[in-house]
Amino acid sequence: MSITLDQVTKRYQGAPVVNDVSLEIGDGEFFVLLGPSGSGKSTLLRAIAGLTGVDHGRIALHGRDVTHTAARERGVGLVFQNYALFRHMTVADNIEFALRVRRVKRAERVQRRKELLRLVALEGMDERLPAQLSGGQQQRVAVARALAHKPEVLLLDEPFGALDAKIREELRRTIRQVQRELGITTVLVTHDQEEAFALADRIGVMNLGRLLEVGRPDELYKRPATRFVATFLGAANLLLARQSKDGIHFGNHAVNARAVEGSVSGREHEVVAVLRPEEIELAPTREALTSSYLAAGTVEELVFTGALERLRVRLTNGSAEVQLAKSNGDGEYLEVTRTQHEQRAFEVQRGQHVAIGVRRIHVLPTPLSSFTACAASDAEVEHLSRQPLLVELAARMKTRVATRVEPALANGSRDCSSRSGKFVGAAVVAAQPDSLKDIECLLARGAEEVFVLPPNAPPPQRVLIHWADEAAKSATLAVSASLLRHLSAEAIYVDVMPQGTAESQRPHGMRALLDARSEAQAVHGLEMRTELRVGNVSTELVRQLGESVDPLLILGISQINGLAHRFADLLASTPRWPMLIVYREPEVQA
Amino acid sequence: MMASRATQIFVDEHATRPGRDTLTTAFVRAFFIGVSLLFLAALLFAPLATVFTMALEKGYEAYLASFSDPDTGAAIRLTLLTAAVVVPINTVFGLAAAWAIAKFEFRGKSFLITLIDLPLAVSPVISGLVYVLLFGLQGWFGLWLQEHDISIVFALPGIILATMFVTFPYVARELIPLMQQLGNDEEEAAITLGAGAWMTFFRVTLPKVRWGLVYGVILCNARAMGEFGAVSVVSGHIRGVTNTMPLHIEILYNEYNFVGAFAVASLLTLLAVLTLVVKSLVERTGYKGH
Repeated sequence: MSITLDQVTKRYQGAPVVNDVSLEIGDGEFFVLLGPSGSGKSTLLRAIAGLTGVDHGRIALHGRDVTHTAARERGVGLVFQNYALFRHMTVADNIEFALRVRRVKRAERVQRRKELLRLVALEGMDERLPAQLSGGQQQRVAVARALAHKPEVLLLDEPFGALDAKIREELRRTIRQVQRELGITTVLVTHDQEEAFALADRIGVMNLGRLLEVGRPDELYKRPATRFVATFLGAANLLLARQSKDGIHFGNHAVNARAVEGSVSGREHEVVAVLRPEEIELAPTREALTSSYLAAGTVEELVFTGALERLRVRLTNGSAEVQLAKSNGDGEYLEVTRTQHEQRAFEVQRGQHVAIGVRRIHVLPTPLSSFTACAASDAEVEHLSRQPLLVELAARMKTRVATRVEPALANGSRDCSSRSGKFVGAAVVAAQPDSLKDIECLLARGAEEVFVLPPNAPPPQRVLIHWADEAAKSATLAVSASLLRHLSAEAIYVDVMPQGTAESQRPHGMRALLDARSEAQAVHGLEMRTELRVGNVSTELVRQLGESVDPLLILGISQINGLAHRFADLLASTPRWPMLIVYREPEVQA
Repeated sequence: MMASRATQIFVDEHATRPGRDTLTTAFVRAFFIGVSLLFLAALLFAPLATVFTMALEKGYEAYLASFSDPDTGAAIRLTLLTAAVVVPINTVFGLAAAWAIAKFEFRGKSFLITLIDLPLAVSPVISGLVYVLLFGLQGWFGLWLQEHDISIVFALPGIILATMFVTFPYVARELIPLMQQLGNDEEEAAITLGAGAWMTFFRVTLPKVRWGLVYGVILCNARAMGEFGAVSVVSGHIRGVTNTMPLHIEILYNEYNFVGAFAVASLLTLLAVLTLVVKSLVERTGYKGH
């Protein structure tokens, strides 16, 4: 491996800007770190270069641990967005800088310089000053300069950011060529997905300091695992659907299962479906569709963009059944793109009614699809659904907050026996003295996740994860991973060993801890730190929560009975911290 | 009625004709340039002219003769010596302070910036008095200094200290915004290319800010040679020993030796003009490349 990052964390004024990133980049690979501004991608690159120290974790270059090695000794080449050429030196002096530092002989310097200038197609520019070059030429010089000392790794920080479209493409080609010719391991940081697609062998998508997904460009585009990657890499319509053994349902009707790709698990549950704009088909009538019917709609907007036509189709009679996980926030729209060929086959005008079909659906493997605010009265439900933390979470997860009046939650009339009506998404209840009863009631009535929300809770800085029963482990990890992708908080798994555990049992506990960590990492892509405590579970969790700034607790259980007894300290009084309770019945052994 | 209408049309036409100065803007321009020139003439050119006319009032002979006075020579030497000591020290200090402020985040950074501005805000007389209070015979360290036979106030060290205090903001003030604007990228590039701290500083940072530095040094020098208030308090006005040029001018003037006073003044003015010429040369050659 050329570059190995292991749980790299960098905090700025307490808040993590790079959050537990682990990554391996192979020899000669062109790796692109993609993410919106503020996602921590540049900080991570600077950490690799040694210009920024890390607070936690290790960095290795070619198997050599460089975590505490000074930048000048790491032997990397770095190219900056604004070139950072030495403006008082000529092109020749700029390129030879690294060689002069190393006291390379003049003849050798000149030869290397000529070679590099040829590589970046700037022969004969030796005696110019940077100010006499165009932006594209300056960046070429910067690339040549970064390569002069034959670094093992080339790092590029938004190198095309300041250039116009045409030059950008030209330079992109040059860099790809240089990279291939030298076979040098390269990491490029960008916010431009087109650039990432054009250059990358592999892409790593970052958001909120986390490395969300890593994969080949086509894989990430076709089969994203997260909402963020689905919408950031290309356009995507996110829809809420129900998935069961026999396919995927949008409202009342099922869509041909063959069009569906993604996880298929046994029980019926709500899922997030990704529909790429180019996978949507429009036809005059439902019968004329060659793909699975989704809904009917009206063309609201129609933009000609050359090769493609971009449309916005408002869902009409289907909208009651087809639930959009709000991807654009301004109503029930589907984004559609059509090729020239499709346009010729069926011409549409603004305002026209069309039947909407879908050729391919990708289902995100996310257990947290949406939120449903539950309370005993309309007013309470309304109030709860407007809680800032809930609104913020839903916005970040690009999903909706549904409301549901649960008479069973009213004081006095607790009838929790009936399992009427399915719960979709996570049920949300307000924190109050009786929260424990609310939780028990909702779980008994079929909710799988209950989110207890104290009034005006701040966005969490730290997420504590704990599962009381081994049976809930996998589900808890999945939910944690799903939630944490949308938070910049750090994740900590807390394991508590009972008081009086024999010394000899300790290594066993440690192993369980490490197993949990590696499962989280391998199966769910969740990086978390671990802590082992000894004592009463409930007491230790309360203590840990109390010590943290703005914490959130994710608690996995597989038994409803005895909740009050087992988590007395945590649940007896009004919960002070937001808590997400994940409940999964143990699988019945056949 | 007709005439005003015709005028109106004329003005409208001129005001809307593209590509040429319209009547209104031409007037506004002439007005502002005129006011500025008048202001300069009254406040700058007239006094400058007076200095030279007064100096040459009794002819060249008298003008040149006033420089042969040993006390005048001593004053000139003292002024040049003071500047020669103060300017390098303040240059180093200014570089260090600007570097610290532009490159690092630390506690009390804004306090440091305020402190650097202090000499500009405080009256120079007070700056001088501070040194008298500290190092004078009645001052905090006065007795100790006397016991060890060190004289600071009413001697060269006092003059240098006072001048240094008054002039230390100039280099730092010039460099801080420049360094902040130019950023850290070139230094970081140098580091990733393998350069150490000293090499980065001398090969990258210093050349990068050299014109700002030269400019700051020039301003610092001009003020160091011309300082009156602070030096006046600490010097003690000992003729031929602790009189700098500005102080010497005052003494000559008070003795009704107008030619002598204005002759020294003209020399000081020439030094100032020379400084300004160097400055504008620096600006022309230095900033053209950017």
